[in-house]
Amino acid sequence: MIFDIISSTSFWYAVLRVSTPILFAALAAIVSNKAGVVNIAIEGTMLISSLTGVLFSAWTQSVFIGVSAAVAAGVLTALILAYFSLNLKTDITLTGIALNLFASGGTIFLLYLVTGDKGMSGSLKSLVVPSWDIPVIKNIPVIGEIISGHNLLTYLAFVSVIVVSVLLYRFPIGLRIRAVGEDEGAVASVGLNVTRIQYIALMLSGVLSGLGGAFMSMGYVSWFSKDMIAGRGFIALAAEAMGRGTPVGTMTAAMVFGFADALSNYLQALQISAELVMMIPYITTIIGLFIYSTKKKNNK
Amino acid sequence: MKEMKSIKRAVSIAVVMAVLVLTFAGCQSKKEEKGGSEAAGDMKVAFVCNGTLGDKSFFDSAAEGIYRMEKELGVEIKIIEAGFDKTKWQPALEDTSDSDYDVIIVGTWEMQEPLEAVAPLYPDKKYIIFDTEMDYSSGDYDNVFSISYKYNEESFLAGALAAMVTTSDMPLANGESTIGFIGGIDSPVINDYLVGYVEGAKYVNENIKVVYSYVGDFSNSTKGKEMAMAQFDNNEADIVFAAAGQAGLGAIDAAKESQKYVIGVDGDQALIFEDTDTEKANKILTSAVSNVGNSLFTAVESAVKGELEWGTGVSTGIADGTAELVDNKYYQELVKEEFRDQIVEITEKIKNGEIQVSSAIGMEKDELDKLLDSVQ
Repeated sequence: MIFDIISSTSFWYAVLRVSTPILFAALAAIVSNKAGVVNIAIEGTMLISSLTGVLFSAWTQSVFIGVSAAVAAGVLTALILAYFSLNLKTDITLTGIALNLFASGGTIFLLYLVTGDKGMSGSLKSLVVPSWDIPVIKNIPVIGEIISGHNLLTYLAFVSVIVVSVLLYRFPIGLRIRAVGEDEGAVASVGLNVTRIQYIALMLSGVLSGLGGAFMSMGYVSWFSKDMIAGRGFIALAAEAMGRGTPVGTMTAAMVFGFADALSNYLQALQISAELVMMIPYITTIIGLFIYSTKKKNNK
Repeated sequence: MKEMKSIKRAVSIAVVMAVLVLTFAGCQSKKEEKGGSEAAGDMKVAFVCNGTLGDKSFFDSAAEGIYRMEKELGVEIKIIEAGFDKTKWQPALEDTSDSDYDVIIVGTWEMQEPLEAVAPLYPDKKYIIFDTEMDYSSGDYDNVFSISYKYNEESFLAGALAAMVTTSDMPLANGESTIGFIGGIDSPVINDYLVGYVEGAKYVNENIKVVYSYVGDFSNSTKGKEMAMAQFDNNEADIVFAAAGQAGLGAIDAAKESQKYVIGVDGDQALIFEDTDTEKANKILTSAVSNVGNSLFTAVESAVKGELEWGTGVSTGIADGTAELVDNKYYQELVKEEFRDQIVEITEKIKNGEIQVSSAIGMEKDELDKLLDSVQ
C-alpha cells in the first residue's frame, strides 16, 4: 500500500510542493541563526507577506509587483524585529513572539479593512505565480512528471539553497555573518559593525520568509486565509536545527518534513486510522531531532 | 549614559508590551451592529460566535440570518465574536447575559457546556443554541431553545449527486466510480456528513467507492488542498465533498488544479469565486447547505410573535426545507437535467420518509466502520 504511494509520481510531485514553504522558511532561519540572531518571527513574517502579496497583486494585477511587495513586507517585518532587538535591546524571542501574535491579528484586521471579510481573501482577484514546464526535462518519463510543472517559486526555493550556500561560504558578507554568530567580540575587535551585519542577516531572512509567504498565497493556494502558515515557520526552525545550519542539510531536513506531511495526506485516503497518520509529521520531527542530538553528542 | 540605556530599555519593553496588549485586544475585536429598534417590541438579540465570522461557510450563514432579523423583524442585533480561544467563550456568554439582551444565540456543541452552566443562572433571559441537541432532562433549561440540523440528509443528496456524476459522461469525470470526502475532524457531527454522503452514494450506485480524509482542524486550507489533490491524483476520485469549514476551501483550489469537481458546504461557495475566478466557480457543482441562518431567523421570528416554545428543541432537515443542495446557475449549467430530476425525486423520498438516512450521532463505532468498509 505504502509502496503504491511511494511509486507514484504525483506523490513525489506533492512532496516538492509541500516542502517549498518549509524550505524558504528554513533558509531564512539559517541566515539569521548564522549571525547569532534567532528569528522566531519567521512564521508571522510569512503570514504578513502572504497577505501583502495577495493585496498588491490584486491592486496592480501584476504578479511581479505582488511578489516584490511580499518580499518588501518580509524585509520590513525583519527590520522591526532588528530595530527592537538590536537597537532597543529587547529580548529577541519575546519580540518574535509579539510579532507573530501581531501578524495573526493584524493580517485579519487589514483583510477586514480591505475586503470586509475576516476569513479569506476570495473576493479579491489576486494573481498566482505561474508554473513552469521545464523544456526537455518535462518529456523525460517519471522525472519529468515529478520535477517539471511546478510553481516558479518552488524552483526559486531550490535555487535559493545554492544562493544561500554561496553567499554564506564564498562572499565576504557571508564570512562576516558567520563570524558574528561565532563571536561578536572578535568581529567588533577588528572594527566591523556587528549590529549592521546582524541587520543585513535579518533582512536576508526577511526576503526568504517573504518569498515563502508569497508562495503560500500566490502559488500553493490562490488566496490568503487567516493563520494560513499553520506552523510552517516553526517547523522550519526544527528543519534548520536538524540540518545543522548547513543549506544542503537543511534542504534535506525540509524535504523529510515535506515527505512526512505528504505521506500523511496520501495515507489517510487509504483508510489507515486518521489519528495514527496525523502523527507522522510530528514523529518524524522527534526522530529527526533525536538523531541530530545523538550525532551532535558523538561529535563532541 | 547608563541611565540613558535603562530608559531606552524600559521604553522598548513598554512598546513590546503595548504591541502584545494591542494584539490581544485585536483578537477579541467586537463588531457592533446597531439597528432600528423602533419596531418588534424592542427585542434585543445577541449572537455570541465561538470563533470569528468570515469562514464563508457555517458562521457566515448564521450571521446572514441575524442580519435579516434586523432588516425584516426590526429587532436590535449584536454579533460578538469571541474568537478561537475556548477559555473566553463562557466569559463572553456570561458578559452578554449580564447585558440587556433578551435573546442570546450561541452555536455548536462546544458551546453547549458553557450554556448549560450559564442559562439556569439567568432565568429571565432566553437562549437559542443551534447545531446541537440540548439534553433537557439533565437540568432546568426552560429558557433554552435548541436547533439541530440533519446534516446526514443534505449530504445524502451530495453523495447521491457525486455518485451520479462520477460515472457520467460529464467532461471532468474519469469513469472510475470513486468519490471523495474531506472532513474537518473525526467527530460525530462531521461523521454525520460522512454517513449521509456514503449512504446517498450507495443509494445511487451500490458499488461506489468512497475515499475519505480528515484535515485535523477547520482552518488549515493548504492541507485541505493537499488531501483533495491526493484523492484526485492517487485514488482517482473525480469529485470531492469537503465538510471542513475554511479548510475545505483548499479542495476548491485542488479541483481547479486537477480539473475535477467539488461540492461545497454550509454556504453557496460558488459565490465566493463568482466574480474573481470563474474557473474555480465552474468546478463547484453545488453546495450542500443547512440554511443555518434561516433556521435562526424563523426561531426569532416566532419568538417575536411570542410563539416559540422555550424549553424544547427541534431537529430540522429536508422535511423542514432547511437541508438542500443549492440550486444556482452552476448547478443548472453543469449538472445534467436528468441528475437534477433524480435529486428532486430523492429529496421527495426523504421528505415522505421513504428513504431513512442513518445518523452518525449516537451510532456505534462498529456500525460506522462497517458502513465505511462497505465502500472500500
